[in-house]
Amino acid sequence: MALQDWSDRLLETMIVSDRMAAAAVIEQALETGIPPIQVISGILDPALIRLGHGWEEETLSLAQGFVAAKIAEDVMLRCIPETGDSPPTKGAVVIGNIEDDFHSLGRRIVTLFLTAAGWEVHDLGNDVPAERFIDTALAVGARVVAASAMMQTTALNIRNLRELIDARGLQQRIKLGVGGAVFNWRPELVAEVGGDGTARNAVGADELCTRLQAAAQAGG
Amino acid sequence: MNAYQRLMGTLTGQPVDRVPVLAVLGAYGGKLTNTGLPTLYRDPAAWLAGQQAAQESFGFDLVMSPFDYSAIAEAFGGTVTWFDDQPPNMKRPAVDNAQAALKLPLPDPARSGRLPAILASTRMLATQYKETVPIIGVVPGPAILPSLVIGLGPWMETILFDQPTARELLEHTGPFFVAWCNALLQAGADCLVVTEGMAAAEIAPRSLFAELALPHLRSTFAQVQGPKVMHQTGGSINHTLDLLPGLAGLAAVAIGSKDDLAQARTLAGPDLNLIGNLDNLSFSSLSADELYHKAMACLRSAAPAGHYILANAGADIALTTPPENLHALLAASSDYAAGKGCPA
Repeated sequence: MALQDWSDRLLETMIVSDRMAAAAVIEQALETGIPPIQVISGILDPALIRLGHGWEEETLSLAQGFVAAKIAEDVMLRCIPETGDSPPTKGAVVIGNIEDDFHSLGRRIVTLFLTAAGWEVHDLGNDVPAERFIDTALAVGARVVAASAMMQTTALNIRNLRELIDARGLQQRIKLGVGGAVFNWRPELVAEVGGDGTARNAVGADELCTRLQAAAQAGG
Repeated sequence: MNAYQRLMGTLTGQPVDRVPVLAVLGAYGGKLTNTGLPTLYRDPAAWLAGQQAAQESFGFDLVMSPFDYSAIAEAFGGTVTWFDDQPPNMKRPAVDNAQAALKLPLPDPARSGRLPAILASTRMLATQYKETVPIIGVVPGPAILPSLVIGLGPWMETILFDQPTARELLEHTGPFFVAWCNALLQAGADCLVVTEGMAAAEIAPRSLFAELALPHLRSTFAQVQGPKVMHQTGGSINHTLDLLPGLAGLAAVAIGSKDDLAQARTLAGPDLNLIGNLDNLSFSSLSADELYHKAMACLRSAAPAGHYILANAGADIALTTPPENLHALLAASSDYAAGKGCPA
């Protein structure tokens, strides 16, 4: 069976939110001799990309996204130990809900997907002050900070983070990704809060972080 | 014909002078009376004044008891964030997992936190408006209620990965849902809008709703002594709509702005009342004329079959919504009744 067929089967289990069936698909793939790292790159990754299209088309529910993220985490946990060493990371990213925002679900899903995609994710949780985003990013060498907010009121608190990045002269070194439901409803908010970019869903966060990190590295 | 007669007439299939029009003007009442929202949501007299102002300014076919779920989260032991330009919101839930929630005592509607203030607001509305303007109470659906106790993320995790515990927690919180609904009805609410997130396509697939939420809705609705409207909490509900008829006391379903009204009628059958489905986000961004035409399109689609109420599809209408946009909704209903909007 080709990798694409395995990926199709995995995607099917994600869409119907069947975590056990997903585990069975991965076990079968491994039993046929597909190396664990190829399970991630050739089976999981393509399934996640197609899942992202489902989100774009608004055909998936929050519950399906949540289970899909868990399945991605399961696959990573199952496959990573068998690679022998930690997989190469794409880089470090600091993520959190901005000050006064407590809607953690989206952030947690993004964290799972970024981890599954190979990022070293530093998840600071809810209600994170601007200083903590920046201090953590500097401490772990992250070139991307990602601030999440669900509502317009809390999204506007991201401006404090933008101002602090600028005030410390870090605008070339650290790029600011923003996300959350309100940015999908009101895309103009990205610029209003000073975001360097956004992603419409968790799967898109990988591409966003890759782009922002490249921009930060190009900036010095 | 007053607003109460118009709405109740529509719900019971009687002839009315025009299609009733509802708009969720909770926080907007504070804007009209120049009252800070932290005061509006704490002080029953301020809430009554806000609803009076909304009624006098526009004359929609309802007044509302406070639409404030943070009061429920707080009554369970959570904390609240207050805003100047939107209703208060839960800051931290009481506990962060289902097992801990099972040990929490249930709030008492008459004694816990701000719940008595909501009941007092409802009683004051009843004194002012009983049988002239419908008094609508708004409650969280029984299957999404645990998210106000442990947070949405942990609740989703529980229902997806630990259904026995999820059922146990629903059993635990169910009596509070019933007690809170009945307390609002006893305080004077004519009808309850039940915003059940688990019924929305954006939250849960149909299978999960049918398997976990629907049985709980059946059991709790049967214990609530008044009419209920199922609401999609700003999402889409057509994917579960056909499962809803037959729920005890179900008077209507509020359709989401992305739902197709004609399809909703097919799914609901001829006798279930439908409410909706103007997009909340359009209220502040469109002109009055554009909103009028959107309202007229809803009326043309849904009013001919009867059992239809024009309304916004989501929660509170944004404070930035110009008053003329709200007047446009009522104008559309009046013009439709006068034959101006009827298809040739």
